[in-house]
Amino acid sequence: MLVVKEVSKQYGDFTALRDIQLEFETGLYGLLAPNGAGKTTLIKMLATLLYPTKGEVLYNGNNIIDMDSCYRELLGYLPQHFGYYKNYSPKQYLLYLSALKGISKKEALPKIIELLDKVALGDVMNKKMKKFSGGMVQRVGIAQALLNDPKILILDEPTAGLDPKERARFRNLLTDLARSRLVIVSTHIVSDIESIANEIIMIKNQQILYKDSVETICGTLDGAVFETSMEFEQLESFRQNYVLLSEKQEYGKMIVRFIHKETPLVDWLPVQPQLEDVFLYEYRDETNGTGQ
Amino acid sequence: MRMIWNEMKKILTWRMLTFLLLVNAVLYFLLISFDIEYFPNGRPALDGYRLGIEMIEEYGVQMDEEEMLDFRRQFESRKEEANEYLQAHPEFAEAGIDDYEELVTSVWDNEERQNLHSQIMHEQQIDLFWELQERSRLIDFHDTKEMIGFEPNTLQQTRFDELLNEGKYQAYPEVVIQNFKEFIVNVGITILFSVVLLISPFILKDRTRRLLDLQYTSKIGRSLYKTKLIAGILSAGLVITVLLAFYFSLYAQNGTSPYFGLGVNAFIANLTWYDPTFLQYIWLCILAIYVIGLIFTMLAMSVSSVVPNFVTLIGIQIPLIFVMLLMGFNILLSHIISVQSPQWLVPGLYGLLGIVSVGLLIYLMRRENFRDISE
Repeated sequence: MLVVKEVSKQYGDFTALRDIQLEFETGLYGLLAPNGAGKTTLIKMLATLLYPTKGEVLYNGNNIIDMDSCYRELLGYLPQHFGYYKNYSPKQYLLYLSALKGISKKEALPKIIELLDKVALGDVMNKKMKKFSGGMVQRVGIAQALLNDPKILILDEPTAGLDPKERARFRNLLTDLARSRLVIVSTHIVSDIESIANEIIMIKNQQILYKDSVETICGTLDGAVFETSMEFEQLESFRQNYVLLSEKQEYGKMIVRFIHKETPLVDWLPVQPQLEDVFLYEYRDETNGTGQ
Repeated sequence: MRMIWNEMKKILTWRMLTFLLLVNAVLYFLLISFDIEYFPNGRPALDGYRLGIEMIEEYGVQMDEEEMLDFRRQFESRKEEANEYLQAHPEFAEAGIDDYEELVTSVWDNEERQNLHSQIMHEQQIDLFWELQERSRLIDFHDTKEMIGFEPNTLQQTRFDELLNEGKYQAYPEVVIQNFKEFIVNVGITILFSVVLLISPFILKDRTRRLLDLQYTSKIGRSLYKTKLIAGILSAGLVITVLLAFYFSLYAQNGTSPYFGLGVNAFIANLTWYDPTFLQYIWLCILAIYVIGLIFTMLAMSVSSVVPNFVTLIGIQIPLIFVMLLMGFNILLSHIISVQSPQWLVPGLYGLLGIVSVGLLIYLMRRENFRDISE
């Protein structure tokens, strides 16, 4: 369906992505990496906002740049940051965008009402957006991405500003949508996609690190994730010897979750690796603050 | 059309229109109102205006030598009336003024005579004496019609001789065309400010508000930039039309329509390369305002497409507008066909400005198609 073929992107001397090779079919793909890893660059190339320095992106065998409007009419896109007119109501704003998407006013109006209801903004569809919270604006953004019933839905950090309830509703919405289309969700929040993505794509050092199911990716740490408890005073020396994934205090002791790929000690409890463990392990330099 | 209209609605907001109304109100009172409220501006301007209409009614839009002789005869006859007036008032005879010639020639070395002259002209404002003064000025001008009021170059001299040979010499009072030139420059300034203020923020706003990501990934894509440019030009054209209609409806109060058929070279001190009528000259100036307005609209949109913020947007345009105010309007508008500029200069400047502004937009349109939208 959508193929990223040996794509590289450079900004002057800086290489953002190198020789990216990906294939997408119908379903939900989670693009997972820390901030600054190149997620938005990849997403923007899929959305035709950035041009690859090398390589090409193909949809059903055709270059998406050459397809021009034929590609964009299949596309629904929610950028990480998007603009809106503060004095427009969501209805006016979506009408404006529907005109850009080539949808007639007659066709757009019922669709807009349906979508605004779906993102729980039906009651405020005629209120000016300048009074909206960040979460409400984000929901308008989600609605606009669905206006043209896209075959390819690309969402860059879609849950930013949403509360836990809205996130849960959004995950359900994505699961529904991904049944009949390609949905690509870029995020650095593991829980947003862990339970719903068919495949996870992780980017590291400007290249694809993993493109696989959650289970397979988690399998890379099988037998290497443990939990143990210790006194607080022992924690510092433990940190220096092992890759810690999490720490929590319980009954006056420290419970730590960590990676160890050699022979474990007897009192360590082996645990099932989670996607977050892989994320923290693979990006340990970045998450420790040495990277971006 | 729906997309163009959508973009126009973003330009012509109520807030912007109210702002333009305020700007126009201020500029009207500062610049334009004087040329409407004080026309003709006192005397002898009023007498020049009246006499001009009388001349057009009597001799048409061109005066030949025979008609000039008649004009002189009328001057003599009106002088007789003035003499009769002076003789009917003994204070003039007591001051040694027996006739009109004496009134105007020997008045300045005698205080009593000066007071009497001032009484007729300024206190009683007797029309006959003002009219005679204006008729005399026109006759003097006609007597020196073969002299140019400045040092001409060869081309200017050739043009002057050409008009003289065709019998098109400058004979009619210049009050109407001078008033129009001042009026149209001030209208031009007001309209320039209006369109620049209207259009400048338009494209920058979408860019700084991060609207391009959604706009350019929609079906219309980057060709929306072209739609925006068209919407900008149409909006500027609409505002220019409304403002011109408004200011010309005010100008209509000046009652200059009797002069419309007069060739612009027939006005005193108005030597031009071409010979349109006054009405055609008005249309030419209107066209020039549209062209200047649209050139600056295109320049404003170009600047708006590349600058990072509003401060730079204003900063870059200030020198352009300053140059226009300092000399641009005189050359490009009020002296649009005047021999004071070389014949090639005005069309050359319009051509250059047109090429630069259109060229910039074409370059930016192409650039928009291929640039990375990363901001």
